[in-house]
Amino acid sequence: MRGGALPAALLCAALALGLASAERKAALLGLAVLVVTACAVAVGSIPGTWSDAVFLGCWTSVIASAAIVHAPRDLKDWQALALSLNAGVWTGAVIALAPSKGDLLEALPVALCALPAARARRQGQAIVLKVLASWLIAVAVLGAILQFLPATPGYLADHLE
Amino acid sequence: MKRMRHMRRTAPELAGTRREGRSARRRAADRLVLAIVSTMAFGVARVTPAYAHMGTGLPGGFESGFRHPVSGWDHLLAMVLVGIWGAFLGRPLIYVLPVIFPVMMVGGAVLGMFSVPVPPVELGVAMSVLVLGLCVGLAIDPPVWAAGTIVATFAVFHGYAHGVELPSAADPVGYSVGFVLTTGLLHAFGVGIGLLTARPKGILVTRGLGAAVALAGGWYLCLALGL
Repeated sequence: MRGGALPAALLCAALALGLASAERKAALLGLAVLVVTACAVAVGSIPGTWSDAVFLGCWTSVIASAAIVHAPRDLKDWQALALSLNAGVWTGAVIALAPSKGDLLEALPVALCALPAARARRQGQAIVLKVLASWLIAVAVLGAILQFLPATPGYLADHLE
Repeated sequence: MKRMRHMRRTAPELAGTRREGRSARRRAADRLVLAIVSTMAFGVARVTPAYAHMGTGLPGGFESGFRHPVSGWDHLLAMVLVGIWGAFLGRPLIYVLPVIFPVMMVGGAVLGMFSVPVPPVELGVAMSVLVLGLCVGLAIDPPVWAAGTIVATFAVFHGYAHGVELPSAADPVGYSVGFVLTTGLLHAFGVGIGLLTARPKGILVTRGLGAAVALAGGWYLCLALGL
């Protein structure tokens, strides 16, 4: 199993950590942009042959969104919106390839973590966010590299099937 | 008049109470969001590999990955020690070590996924238990770069062991989430133990633990060398 709700949920979690350094209004607007964009893309149909590119985009976005937590400066409003738009596109694309569109309902609520994350940052607990971001980056790098393996990954049928 | 005086006196207090009330409500809302999201995230991560082929690969995703770091004492002790040592050394290493470890573990996992030959993994893992145990037991306080390098080197061996299994996992993303999450939780547990050093006899407890783990590391090393 490669798709499903998990990659999309991880992207939403990374976005939530990234939005923690944005202004409250921009973060809320970003969450709205994420929901609208993800729903719009998820209802469309994406060819199965694009699967590798879509997952690579999803994992790259997870890395980029989580890496923002380590940036010394706060996120500007337009940057927060651009990040949300990007996350929405890839979340929707991954769900469009998933067996069930209902997976979107499991993934999107994870983005609500932006609210407690922003509070944690304001209270000087940014360290926790940095540690969580490093976990997400670790998972995303593994997910991205998996598709470049010379061996047949476990989620694909092989000659033994 | 008496009532007015009472109101004047209590107005700032009332404002303060209102602020506290708002703050408490926000905290409660945050906790609620976290509880809902973590429950859902756990549900998402626990998805069974029903869509995957079950004939080959690891049967489980998240659960296999979650169990993997705690399935052997050598892995478990090394990861807890990273947290203890980080807390022992204080800022910035208290968070730098738990950040370095998963990132370098990924480097090791990639080597394992591509089957790049490295020195025997069992030897590296046993050495990590021994060296980290000695660092805590002897209260070694190296520069930040040196502590980071030690932890990063050992993280590669631990990651390699995970990476070898990853490609055959039916749900590799769930497996990755599981093992990274367990690793992080073990670090956090270690940091919790390491924070005992702030207490009067806490430093003796943590150093004693470090020494005990170093002995265990010596035993693992003997096993790895076939002695």
